[in-house]
Amino acid sequence: MKVLQACDLAVGYGTRTVVNDINLDALKGQFICLLGPNGSGKSTILRCLAGLLAPLRGSVYLKGNQLYTLGPGDLARTMAVVLMERLSPGLLTAFEVVAMGRYPYTDFWGHLTEKDRCKTQEALRLVNGENLATRYFAELSDGEKQKVMLARALAQEPELIILDEPTTHLDVKHRLEVMAILRQLTREKGITVILSLHEIDLALKSCAIAMLVKEGKILACGPPEEVLDEDTVTELYDIDSAYFSDCLGGMELRNNGGTLVYVLGGAGSGARVYRMLSKHGFGVVTGVIHENDVDYHVGKAIGATLIEEQPFEEIGDSSFERAVELIRRAARVIDAGFPVGSLNLRNLDLIRLVLAQGRTVYTLRGKRETEELYGEAGSRFIHCHSLGDLLEKLTSNAHATG
Amino acid sequence: MFFKEKTGRYYIFTIIFAFLVGALFLLNLSLGSVPVPLKEVYRVVLHQPVDNTTFQAVIWKIRLPRSLATLFGGAALATGGLLLQIFFRNPIVGPYVLGISSGATLLVALVMLTSLSVGLTLHPFALSMAAFLGALLVMILVLAVANRVRNVVTLLVVGLMMGYLCSAVSSILIALAEKEKVHGFVLWTLGSFSGFTWDELVVLMGLSGPLLLCSLLLCKPLNAFLLGEDYARSMGVNIRCFRVAIVMLASALAGLVTAFAGPVAFIGLAVPHMARLSLGTSDNRALLPATILLGATVASLCDLVARMALSPVELPISAITSFFGAPIVIGLLLKRRTAL
Repeated sequence: MKVLQACDLAVGYGTRTVVNDINLDALKGQFICLLGPNGSGKSTILRCLAGLLAPLRGSVYLKGNQLYTLGPGDLARTMAVVLMERLSPGLLTAFEVVAMGRYPYTDFWGHLTEKDRCKTQEALRLVNGENLATRYFAELSDGEKQKVMLARALAQEPELIILDEPTTHLDVKHRLEVMAILRQLTREKGITVILSLHEIDLALKSCAIAMLVKEGKILACGPPEEVLDEDTVTELYDIDSAYFSDCLGGMELRNNGGTLVYVLGGAGSGARVYRMLSKHGFGVVTGVIHENDVDYHVGKAIGATLIEEQPFEEIGDSSFERAVELIRRAARVIDAGFPVGSLNLRNLDLIRLVLAQGRTVYTLRGKRETEELYGEAGSRFIHCHSLGDLLEKLTSNAHATG
Repeated sequence: MFFKEKTGRYYIFTIIFAFLVGALFLLNLSLGSVPVPLKEVYRVVLHQPVDNTTFQAVIWKIRLPRSLATLFGGAALATGGLLLQIFFRNPIVGPYVLGISSGATLLVALVMLTSLSVGLTLHPFALSMAAFLGALLVMILVLAVANRVRNVVTLLVVGLMMGYLCSAVSSILIALAEKEKVHGFVLWTLGSFSGFTWDELVVLMGLSGPLLLCSLLLCKPLNAFLLGEDYARSMGVNIRCFRVAIVMLASALAGLVTAFAGPVAFIGLAVPHMARLSLGTSDNRALLPATILLGATVASLCDLVARMALSPVELPISAITSFFGAPIVIGLLLKRRTAL
């Protein structure tokens, strides 16, 4: 069932069109997310869908009825909003703010019946905010305020909630909590949720439909797994300095090169080393690494030079030789402490080769482990007990030699 | 449950305010250059035979209309202030912020300071009519603007500018006027409830009473408006009608008082704060009645002080309201560290 439908909608203010050609079908219980850079018109679209702004062209249908012909009361019983503006409602408790959501249901004086009180409590419970009830709204933290505003929207018993950047200003805990609550609402109560977000990773992981808005146009609209690929995200936000990995579902800052460091990683042992090196201005080369390895994806997203091997294949001669060549050019070699198995045995050969050349290898493994793996040669390692330790040793040696 | 505790507090304060209104009303009838014992006050008001005919004359002709006017005037100003504070979501707004008093002052200046009135016998109502007309004109202008602008802050600025324009013209008129006329005009601009006649009182009560009732009827949308215009609309408030209603109510209440008593400062700004902070809520179902009562209380008290402090010289009531009101508001705010 279509809860909200937008047909050839154009939104804007006065004569200025902000976004054109918006078509959207929001189904019952669907989680829809608007993504786009600041100023792309996400809020304007949401205001129009919420009936707070008249469309310039086209129309919006709420459960089959023209949105702008609905009476304000009918509209309020079907749709609720959570806006971005910061509220200062004076001396109202959180409970009173939430109870305000009962507005379309209460009598002329706004008197709360027992049922209204129950619904209000229930709404507070849904957002894990029962303990906030008696406190003044103005005294709450940003995250708590947002939860209260969400509860207020729920108290309206809507079939559709529209939220404008509900996660802005929130810390990680509240951000995830708000998204989890919204997802739960779509699943358990069949409420349709339309919101705008800045966090691509959150969108990718929570919403059913993503709508990408940029420069007055809808770039794409569909399941995020389909529309949010690496190129679209880069185009959407015009990002040069970072890279979006759809496989990892997050952004990585680009590696800009510097002193070349060769990392032998695998199975996740390399990811944190790459990030740290990249952050501190080293150029990262890594391999040999399988294309199905998580380190491969992180390395790729960061923009490290990769020497890859086909998934589930043993390391072949061509990649081994490329690795030898790049290790020769690298200023430092790090053993990230990867797990050794039959498929990546030759990475150990790479390290032995380096040691045989008389070069030092930084390792995150313990002493006993290196001795077991490399025998006598194991003593020529520089052992680092943590990433911080590794960084310290890398930089101090760089000063010493450089 | 905390709701019960809170409503208990509302009732207590409302009763206290009501009691204060009554007490001050009686004091206003009793105290003055001719003190009337309270017992005699009862007898006079209840039309029982009194020995002293002076008492009868003083109370019926002077003090009763003045005291009643003070009650209604204070209530009207405080309510007008509260309505606009909610409407603009701004705690430092008063009933005159839309330029109502400046408009009234301008027309009064035209009547008092220029030779427009020469040749016409000044009807006792002429000044009041002029003041009310001025307030009305400004209100109509503001309403016309209110329908065009999207943002209430824009409206606020328009109101302020309107006030400056009217004040500018008034000050030019003062500069050009004769000295004796200016003195009378300046006294008018300070505001006073003195010399209220029964005719004037009937108009004031007959109009401000229903207007106050109308404001009470708006409790529910006013509450929704505490969350801002967009939220109010999303909850089913008809914003267009509501805007017009608020501007008209607040302007009419303020204009009415100004018409008869001149611009009385501060009550409209301070009383809503006093009521809000003593009740500890912004819920208008409790706050509006309390504001009406407290407005009447504060106006009565200030009028009493204005009359008695340096008797027989009467002080301007605006001076008293500001002099005592400002420290009280500051004190209440400092005690409670919550934002308004």
